[in-house]
Amino acid sequence: MLEIDKVSIIYDSSQLFANLSLTIKHHEIVALTGPSGSGKTTLLRCIAGLESISTGSIHLNGHDITDQPAHLRNIGMVFQDNQLFPHLTVGQNVAYSLKIKRTPKKITDNKVREVLSLVGLNHLIDRTVTNLSGGEAKRVAVARALIAEPQVLLLDEPLTGLDIELHGRLLEDLGKLLRTRGTTVLHVTHDKAEASAIADRVLDLRQLIS
Amino acid sequence: MTTIYNRSQAIYWLAIAPIVAIVIFVIAPVFNIFVSSLQFESLNLLRTEAIRNVVWFTTWQSLVSTAFTLVIALPLAFVTANFKFKAQRLTTSLISLPFILPSIVVGVAFLQILPNNFHRTAFALILAHTYFNFGFTSRLITARWLQIDPHLDDAARTLGASPFKLFITLTMPLLSKAITNAALIVFTLCFTSYGVVRVLGGPSRSTLETEIYFRAMQLGDVSGAMLLSALQIVIIVSLFIVTTRASRNKFKQSTKPTISRQKSLQTRKQKVIAATIISSATVFAIVPVLAIAFKSINTNSRFTTTAWRTVFTSPEITQSITKTLIYAVIAMSLATLLGLLSACSVAYSNNNFHFISGLATLPVVISAVSIGLGIIITFDTQPFDWRGAQFMLPLAHALVALPLAMRVILPVLQAIPDSLRQASSVLGASPRQTWLNIDFKIIRRAAISAAAISATVSIGEFGASSFLARRGAETLPIMISRLLSRPGDSLQSQAFALATLLAIFSLIVIFVIDSFANTKSARDSHA
Repeated sequence: MLEIDKVSIIYDSSQLFANLSLTIKHHEIVALTGPSGSGKTTLLRCIAGLESISTGSIHLNGHDITDQPAHLRNIGMVFQDNQLFPHLTVGQNVAYSLKIKRTPKKITDNKVREVLSLVGLNHLIDRTVTNLSGGEAKRVAVARALIAEPQVLLLDEPLTGLDIELHGRLLEDLGKLLRTRGTTVLHVTHDKAEASAIADRVLDLRQLIS
Repeated sequence: MTTIYNRSQAIYWLAIAPIVAIVIFVIAPVFNIFVSSLQFESLNLLRTEAIRNVVWFTTWQSLVSTAFTLVIALPLAFVTANFKFKAQRLTTSLISLPFILPSIVVGVAFLQILPNNFHRTAFALILAHTYFNFGFTSRLITARWLQIDPHLDDAARTLGASPFKLFITLTMPLLSKAITNAALIVFTLCFTSYGVVRVLGGPSRSTLETEIYFRAMQLGDVSGAMLLSALQIVIIVSLFIVTTRASRNKFKQSTKPTISRQKSLQTRKQKVIAATIISSATVFAIVPVLAIAFKSINTNSRFTTTAWRTVFTSPEITQSITKTLIYAVIAMSLATLLGLLSACSVAYSNNNFHFISGLATLPVVISAVSIGLGIIITFDTQPFDWRGAQFMLPLAHALVALPLAMRVILPVLQAIPDSLRQASSVLGASPRQTWLNIDFKIIRRAAISAAAISATVSIGEFGASSFLARRGAETLPIMISRLLSRPGDSLQSQAFALATLLAIFSLIVIFVIDSFANTKSARDSHA
């Protein structure tokens, strides 16, 4: 369970929001909407440990992770612009977190194939990521985040910039994938239709501020 | 790159001047060296232990100097690429100063700050080479580091990478090409270093470059000198080919990030690390310069301005200053023009003229001493007996400066989106008007920087000048070398005063270049 309690964030000397509280239950998919500039992405970055909060606390499964570095939180994130590592192939990108944890090669290879087949990209395992289409790159980013088996997965506008047809198809696939794996998800988007398509709950960021 | 100029025949005319200049004054003399050096008896020279020792010393001191340079440059690049701190512009300029200091000034400075028992040692040479190259190397690596999107770091962190693992698995692979290129350039500069070795090495610490000069000018063994020059060229060219091939298959570099990597120093640990690295590098950069300035006003252990008064009143020295400045103006104009023409022909053609980029880089690969030797060997018979001609020295300086001039202008030219030119065309501008109003206006600051660098190269050039400068027309570095070789404290102080003058000029140039660069980036960020 992810508990965000009375969190305030000051960004570039101005307060983005104060006293924001939110609880996400195990296996729950929550979508968070709000206008541009309201601080949705910054909130995700704070939960992931990439930015610091000014006041309040963040607990994950009962443990206070407020001051824990990002690499120790086991919270995955899919970035708006994917951020695939350009010097690695598709397979190597997906295997990154397992390599960091020194997972044996055989287990890594099997898991990479398994996750890539879930997103339908097994045939691209040796492809360089700079040659992928927008939809393929997005699937690799999701696979890379899922293989680490994060306790919470943060999705930052994951389908922005895709054409309508691809957007619809990926949204459906993503929803199925997350439900099948029972991943706990906080999905940030400005698109209310996208939010309600896969989420158990849809919240507006402004409603969370007390 | 496809530009609106591709269809124009003018590109072919642009390429003629740089091609002719490089073919006649670099390739032909070097080819001549190769042909002339294939004399059977000269080949025996390569079997002598003395020459084998020279080759071995040249190689290992270059390798160690390159390693030392990287050890200092990498932490410096880490701080300058990742953090914003007070007086960043000033410290960056000061740290860059050593690279544009004339090599003889660096040699003289280390002669001054090192204890006597370190003179004529390999350590002195390695330290001076490290000093000469660390700021430039740090800038090259910083430039690439700034291109790495900080969100890639974020992605790695959310996937479990600690700061150390992030550096090893992400940052280093993305920087590897820049580090390899920088190391190759530093190795080449150390391998072909001349001024520093002449001053600090002495006869016991000879490198291939000084051995070429010694054989040609002191022993009169021109054939042996040519053979060594050919050997040096073969080694450097082979190294360039191997390194270029090894890095050819590297992944495509990522595009410019949308946000800056540079963050304010926040934690105490960050502040201590940054302050230690930056202050150490700044002290390392300025202490040798301060040492020569101090020595110029300290003769026989007392303070005096005699050396400075002599510098501005001695007819011999004022003539040298005048000649140096005249040569610098000519070399600067020629190098900037040739650099601009080379850059335009590379940027505007569809691969047809990309070889010019390689041609214009030849004076880096082929050392200045080899160019100087090649020129006096090649142009020694009528009607081309130009050895004593006044134009040869500034021309040689311009060719030595050409690679730098072109490399400053070319990236700026290549970064201009062709849509700007197309917009100009559809608004009714001819190709000439478009070039003047779009391209030229965007590259003029780079052209001024190229001119400033070319002038600095000319003023401090020592290798080619050692062969081509005639008595009565010596440039400042030659004059400094002559003054240092004579006994007497007052003459030494005059040499230090002249070295200080060269250092002041270099300092002005680096501030001019950096202020242009900073103005440009400030404008870019507001755009």
